[in-house]
Amino acid sequence: MVGPIASLSQLHRSDGSASYKCPATGYSILGAVNGPIELPARRDALKPEEATVEVFVKPGTTTGGVGERYIEGILRSVLGKIVLGREKGFPRRGVVITLAIVGGENVARGDNYLTILPALLHTGLLAMISASVPLSMTFSATLLGVTEDGDIVRDPSPTAAKAAVSLHVFAFSSKNHLLLNESEGRFGFDTWEYVRERALSICQGETTASADGDVAMGEGTASASVSGFIRETVEDQIYSDYAYKLDSI
Amino acid sequence: MTALVLLPSDEVPQDHLPTNNSNPLRLGPGLRILSQPSSNGSNHVLTATQAGLLTTDAKRNTVSLLSFPNRRYIPTVNDFVIAQIHHSSVDFFHCMVTPHTAHALLGQLSFEGASKKTRPMLKQGELVYARVQSVGLGAGAEVELTCVNPATGKADGGLGPLTGGMVFDVSTGMAARLIRASSTSAENTDAIEGLAVLSELGKKLESLGGFEIAVGRNGKVWVDCSIAAESAVKVTVAIGRCLQETDQQNLHTHDQKKLVMKILRDMKLVS
Repeated sequence: MVGPIASLSQLHRSDGSASYKCPATGYSILGAVNGPIELPARRDALKPEEATVEVFVKPGTTTGGVGERYIEGILRSVLGKIVLGREKGFPRRGVVITLAIVGGENVARGDNYLTILPALLHTGLLAMISASVPLSMTFSATLLGVTEDGDIVRDPSPTAAKAAVSLHVFAFSSKNHLLLNESEGRFGFDTWEYVRERALSICQGETTASADGDVAMGEGTASASVSGFIRETVEDQIYSDYAYKLDSI
Repeated sequence: MTALVLLPSDEVPQDHLPTNNSNPLRLGPGLRILSQPSSNGSNHVLTATQAGLLTTDAKRNTVSLLSFPNRRYIPTVNDFVIAQIHHSSVDFFHCMVTPHTAHALLGQLSFEGASKKTRPMLKQGELVYARVQSVGLGAGAEVELTCVNPATGKADGGLGPLTGGMVFDVSTGMAARLIRASSTSAENTDAIEGLAVLSELGKKLESLGGFEIAVGRNGKVWVDCSIAAESAVKVTVAIGRCLQETDQQNLHTHDQKKLVMKILRDMKLVS
């Protein structure tokens, strides 16, 4: 399994940015974050004591439509929850996250948007970390598909996702709490529970012992987990940014 | 001690905290204190809110997190900034400190020796080197700047209007580095904070009369060398390019020296 590739702070003019490429699904996303900035009009009126988080998703070849608005709503609720919007300088200001889909198969109108959701979530998180927006926690997300035979497939490609009976996106916080659950298709409670356990082991790299002892193998090491990947990406960038400081230690 | 990188929600390990107990521990940016209820009362833990390198200062008993260098500048009291006048009103100059944020206010009379009769008449687009006086409390508060030290009435540290010269944008991390490098003692000026670029430029440009520089915490560097007469523009641009390239490419000290030599040769300032 080829892991994702990500790098931070590639854009110079934005406060924070990240690029993310997922070879399994083929998507490549470029994200930029600006914040805290003054918002036009009175968009702060709903929650004057907190920062407003705005998310924009730009498809590579067309203008945004209903699908993008739908996914923006999901992203805004997840990313907005982890931002500490009451820190100094943030209340009544905005954190604007722009995610451009620069590569991969186009999500046509009416198509399923769940396949791209983990990539968008990770790009948004990494870009916010790179902009030093205060966060209460980090998270990791994964996409799982259930085939007709009942097999659970990790990061199915768009064609495999179309053939799947059900699709599930899970996001877990760095403290292993479930942050997001988006499921689509036909599935039962048992299937959902299996998928959730599998997703947790993929995200956190922990072998969660289920009742029948059926644990996913080969995903146990921390670096192979998605949260380990996020940590390594951030650490690499900080080590290279502060190389001058680390040399003298 | 090994370098420790923390991500949001990571706890600061006890053994990384400074052990000097003479004065209370001070928290820098990027860290917060959380109390966790436990069986024996409550228990305090320090957690990170940003990703960064954990640094401690045993002498001053501080612990802080060095975050990414290209982050946005958030005004903090006593920071030195380079502000641009946007417009002026009866009592205030409205200045731009960072893009896409509300204007900061600079009192018409907060200059050295200013009175109703004699005060600087700054126009739109002019620059001032100012200190952040207050950031206000609560949401939507205005940032106030000043160009005098309120205690002495003097313009300490070169505060006031900046005439001539040119401003270059650098990252906020680079600006902080330049300020730290200049505030450390003048002994062994070679490569403090990994910065050799300024001392190298100083050596090479000494024959042309040297240059003047002002660094704002908001990621602006003002460079002036009007003393160099006909080559003033060239020297200013060369210094700006050296600083920006060092920042963007995150150059090592020996690469910085090479870069200075290359740019000065390109601009035909040294042979």
